Amino acid sequence: MPMDYILRLPEYEKVIKSIKETIITNIVLVGQVPAPTFSEQNRTKVILERMSELNIDECSTDNYQNPIGIIRGRRRDKPPLFVVAHIDTIFDEDIDHNYTVKEKYITGPGILDNSAGVGILVSLPEIFKKLNLHFESDIVLAGVVQSIGKGNLRGIRHLLRGWPSPIRGAICLEGCDLGRLNYYSNGMMRCEISCNISSKQGWENNFRPNAILILYEVINKILKLRLPQRPQARVIFGKISGGVKHGKIALKAKLGFEIQSDSEEMVREIYDDIRDIVNGISHERAVDLKLKTISSTNPARLQFSHPLVKQAVSVMKTLGIAPVSGNSESELSIFLANNIPAVTLGMSKGNNYHLENGSIEIEPIFTGIAQVIGVLLALDSGEFDVS
Amino acid sequence: MSHNSWIKKNTFHFSDFKNLSYLVQEKKRKNLTISLCLPTLNEEETIAKEIVIFRSELVLRYPLIDEIVVIDSGSTDRTREVARAFGASVYIADEILPGLEKQKGKGENLWKALYVTSGDIIIYIDADIKNIHHRFAYALVGPLLLYDNIKYVKAFYERPIAGRKKTRPTGGGRVTELVVRPFFSLFFPEMAQIIQPLSGEYAGYRETFEQIPFPIGYGVETSMLLDIYEKWGLDVIAQVDLEKRVHRNQDTKALGKMSFSIINTFMDRLEKLGVIKTKKKMLTNMIQYKIVNNEYRPDISDIQKLERPPIIDIPEYRKKFNIDQSMNKKVKNV
Repeated sequence: MPMDYILRLPEYEKVIKSIKETIITNIVLVGQVPAPTFSEQNRTKVILERMSELNIDECSTDNYQNPIGIIRGRRRDKPPLFVVAHIDTIFDEDIDHNYTVKEKYITGPGILDNSAGVGILVSLPEIFKKLNLHFESDIVLAGVVQSIGKGNLRGIRHLLRGWPSPIRGAICLEGCDLGRLNYYSNGMMRCEISCNISSKQGWENNFRPNAILILYEVINKILKLRLPQRPQARVIFGKISGGVKHGKIALKAKLGFEIQSDSEEMVREIYDDIRDIVNGISHERAVDLKLKTISSTNPARLQFSHPLVKQAVSVMKTLGIAPVSGNSESELSIFLANNIPAVTLGMSKGNNYHLENGSIEIEPIFTGIAQVIGVLLALDSGEFDVS
Repeated sequence: MSHNSWIKKNTFHFSDFKNLSYLVQEKKRKNLTISLCLPTLNEEETIAKEIVIFRSELVLRYPLIDEIVVIDSGSTDRTREVARAFGASVYIADEILPGLEKQKGKGENLWKALYVTSGDIIIYIDADIKNIHHRFAYALVGPLLLYDNIKYVKAFYERPIAGRKKTRPTGGGRVTELVVRPFFSLFFPEMAQIIQPLSGEYAGYRETFEQIPFPIGYGVETSMLLDIYEKWGLDVIAQVDLEKRVHRNQDTKALGKMSFSIINTFMDRLEKLGVIKTKKKMLTNMIQYKIVNNEYRPDISDIQKLERPPIIDIPEYRKKFNIDQSMNKKVKNV
């Protein structure tokens, strides 16, 4: 027997659409403020301004400068529910962050990862008001800083570490894709290998080592590692850079990669293998080759049979969304590692994910928000509370 | 008057008007209505964002603006469709007051907006602003609602303000610094206190706008200032710092044509005021040069000095707004 709120979701979707101007405005005003990882302060200020204008019960930053708004619930004895969205983006401050709005799309850098998520987070108090929704738990709306890359999820780690009470459950918002349902995180280690050739080796030596070729050798050796089918494991090469110009031997080069597995031990084993490769090549080629870990998460998961996951699937199906399960190594992993039931949901569909002209479809956003409301009501119903 | 007495008294910062609830309250207390006019020509890239933000913040959340009106000069892109899709009332300039001879230009759109809008206060905002924010509108109506002596408010951007700690880049647009400010300094030095006389964003009472002529083209901002100053003095004018404005940049040639119009307007007003007398009729061709096949060729633009009269003199307008023919006063419906 479906719960009442599930039946009301299609109606909620229509009401949410009736304030589309406010939702789009929040996405645009937040997204137009550059927020590269470690420089999110201007965006934090705008988020707080927007939240405080909505007269929510509390609005401030924690001691790690995560912007937080709290809507007080009816029951003081119920732990809070969290809705979070990371506020940092991969784009530098010096690119044009002015967004374009057209009939069907909003376009601009960082819109999908994760300005749309943040704009929706900021819109939730207005949406709750419009839907006349009141919760038993406090609803904590948190923008989190320093999530991406070298940020290493510091914002969410500090937020949870400093939170004084237990947390009942959480939803993480991501700009895309609608249908995404993440409820487990793989173990992950994000690493960087840097190769530096000393210029003291003499400018006259035409045969000194080339940093790019050294990294090429490292990559080849990593590719020869035999990775198991069970537990699943993989190495993803995601970034590479090096050299100065076409006809000059590269003296510096960097390789960024992630080791992913659903087994913590396997991540560690692969890391050890790669460290041996790096040390070996460094020794044999007499170059400065360093392996650095820039972030890591441990594997954690809810089972598909967990009531939160089942309820999320039910909410999505009611709204005509086909759920697609997958892993996410973002804020979700920190909640799950702290034994807090949580899911990550996508808000809409989009194109050019990490490009300056990234764009998000407007119409599906309202369905995306309705699903968040549905899952939030499911969490608030107490069905998943650990006694 | 000293060179900064007005600037000290009548210059504001947008943050002075951030209390939107108070502005709405004052608007209601004074029983006023406010119209926002966006003149457009091929603004498909920016128009939707402007309408969405103004509707969200100043129509739905704080009912400060009563209508958003787009007056289009005949865009060939999807400006009108996009504007309609986001809830603006859209008009094609040529179709307003169809009995009049058709003209093309920003000034024409602003003048015709007086006929189709109904607000007691009209806000004019260019439709090509990339970093649009609702402050562009509320900060312009703020002084009109809170200060009884102020009838017209002009925006300025990125200028240093005496007494504020933060220093920002000095210098205005090229046309302002090379044409308008020298003219002001020569003939109306106290008007040189207006930091950005050519800014495309301003607001005022209908009763002010309806009594002044509107040049069709680029001269409209300059003429508006000169006419308001001449009719009511500088104290009815205020200026507001809106901080940063990002918009399309115009090339030097386009700015040359703009300067031509502005100089034309200046000369016309100076002559009408009896300040100067020109012995020769001023010409209407702006002559610029371009290189074609390694050869300089003249590039001549005919820039006519066309001007719409005060709209209060147009019978259709008087009829629509119920203005008594002899008294120039609105007749109240009993």
